[in-house]
Amino acid sequence: MTQRTEREFTAFVNERGTALLRVAYALTGDRHSAEDLLQSALAKTYVSWSRIRGDAEPYVRRILYHDQVSGWRRRARRSEVPVAALPDLATGTDDDHETAVRLLLRDALLRLPPRQRAVLVLRYLEDLSVEQTAELLDCRIGTVASQASRALAKLRQLVPAFDDLVQRTEVHR
Amino acid sequence: MNRPDELLRKAVHDLAGTPQLPADLVTHAILGGRRIRRQRRAATALGAMVAVIALATPFIWLHPRSAPSVTAPDPTAAELRVLPPPDDNWRDAPLELPGGWVVTGATSTGGPASDGLVLDRSQNRYVKVDKYEETWAAPRGRFAAVLDHDRPGDVGLLDVPTGKVRWVRTGQLTLNPEWSPDGTRLALTLLDKETGSSSLGVLSVDGSFQTFPVDTSSGWANRGPGQYLCTDYCLFTWMPDGKQVALQQTDPAVPRTESKPHARRGLQLFSADTGKPTRFVPARGDAAGPYSWSPNGRLVVIKGQEATQLVEVDSGRVVRDLPTIDLNSATLVWVAAERLLLISAGHATLLDPTGHPLERRDLPPELTGLRIAVAPSA
Repeated sequence: MTQRTEREFTAFVNERGTALLRVAYALTGDRHSAEDLLQSALAKTYVSWSRIRGDAEPYVRRILYHDQVSGWRRRARRSEVPVAALPDLATGTDDDHETAVRLLLRDALLRLPPRQRAVLVLRYLEDLSVEQTAELLDCRIGTVASQASRALAKLRQLVPAFDDLVQRTEVHR
Repeated sequence: MNRPDELLRKAVHDLAGTPQLPADLVTHAILGGRRIRRQRRAATALGAMVAVIALATPFIWLHPRSAPSVTAPDPTAAELRVLPPPDDNWRDAPLELPGGWVVTGATSTGGPASDGLVLDRSQNRYVKVDKYEETWAAPRGRFAAVLDHDRPGDVGLLDVPTGKVRWVRTGQLTLNPEWSPDGTRLALTLLDKETGSSSLGVLSVDGSFQTFPVDTSSGWANRGPGQYLCTDYCLFTWMPDGKQVALQQTDPAVPRTESKPHARRGLQLFSADTGKPTRFVPARGDAAGPYSWSPNGRLVVIKGQEATQLVEVDSGRVVRDLPTIDLNSATLVWVAAERLLLISAGHATLLDPTGHPLERRDLPPELTGLRIAVAPSA
């Protein structure tokens, strides 16, 4: 690799690294795993730097998702991040309540299998469409839909207050 | 957007947080990249060492389920024969593998892309293909299929001797294009965006293209699952006759979990000419292609829910588990009546049906990390 390549690569990481690390955090749920995941993806990107045409960021993102999700079968036994039991909600103002539900949801997201969590990250953090999500995960649109559906069902089960909120929203439609 | 959606979006953003980029991330990434390159270069030496170890190690990874209907292990079986490794000029001639097969090409899958390689049978040498992300070499003939990630929905037919590509609009592929054994047609697994179901696409090397809808859908609230329910990974693969394709069928009676591959009830075969169903095979797993089927048609290698397996075609009975062969990263094909060829971890190894290794040859380190295509030499 030339010095020019290293300069380009370093500039890329400095510019886009934080955004990529956010994705890695959302996928893994903890700092060390996120940094490991991103570092591994960047190392692979560095090896292929001269062959990447155009923007490198989509390549890194693709590796991040594939490394985290494609190996899900081998990682199945440690696929869910262990977290403490989710507490019940204390009563309080609407804002307090919403904040508490949000925090419970954050913890509940860590209990989802990697593939389901990846679908939610792509849809809600990266704002990708169902079609784009399917393309990035190399699966069918139906699979994305079913993964999202299962993820939401599990979140409703883990956070009853979220379930109440969804039911109220459905009634008011 | 409704309130639950907003809350969930905020929670996902909370999860992503506002992390600080570690100061040494770039340095470690560059060091990691250099390490990957060194590992690739060292693959040849490591391969030779593994071959030697294999000579001295009892072969234990095939576990018969019951009295096998194939040849029993021969207690006096010959020792593993290690063939000379390819030299530096291996690209100048078809790379011969144990069992008389050859490497027809190699491709990266997904990005970042590495250069692909395809055997030009008119010159009997390999040519590099560096313009496209994926290069799928045919087992015979003069064509390769190429995919350009900047042209989603198109498949390129590369005429290898001339380098010319004919692009055909096919729609979005969900998985790899699959060559028929005679190298004249591609089976494409296509997505129907309207229904989330699949279509079989058949693309001929003359550019003609047909699609046949196959209702693989899981169903919605107001309707049940499709007639040919397939979930998880679903791929049309060719049968040895080059006239039919097989599609794995999900077992609807088994609860599906994402912690392991979905259970299958068998393989449904379809005519590649009409798209009509022809036959059901009770092999409960995924067949990788035409060479997964034994030459006499009695056995098939499948990726089962728990492990790779040898299965009787007519009964679906599991003859053997092959627990250490991961078909996500390895290729296992029948090359003769009593011989299988395993492409894995930088080696090509000829096995008897009990899994005893007979011959092994290292593969060039340049092929490490690529998906390798193999075919009969003729």
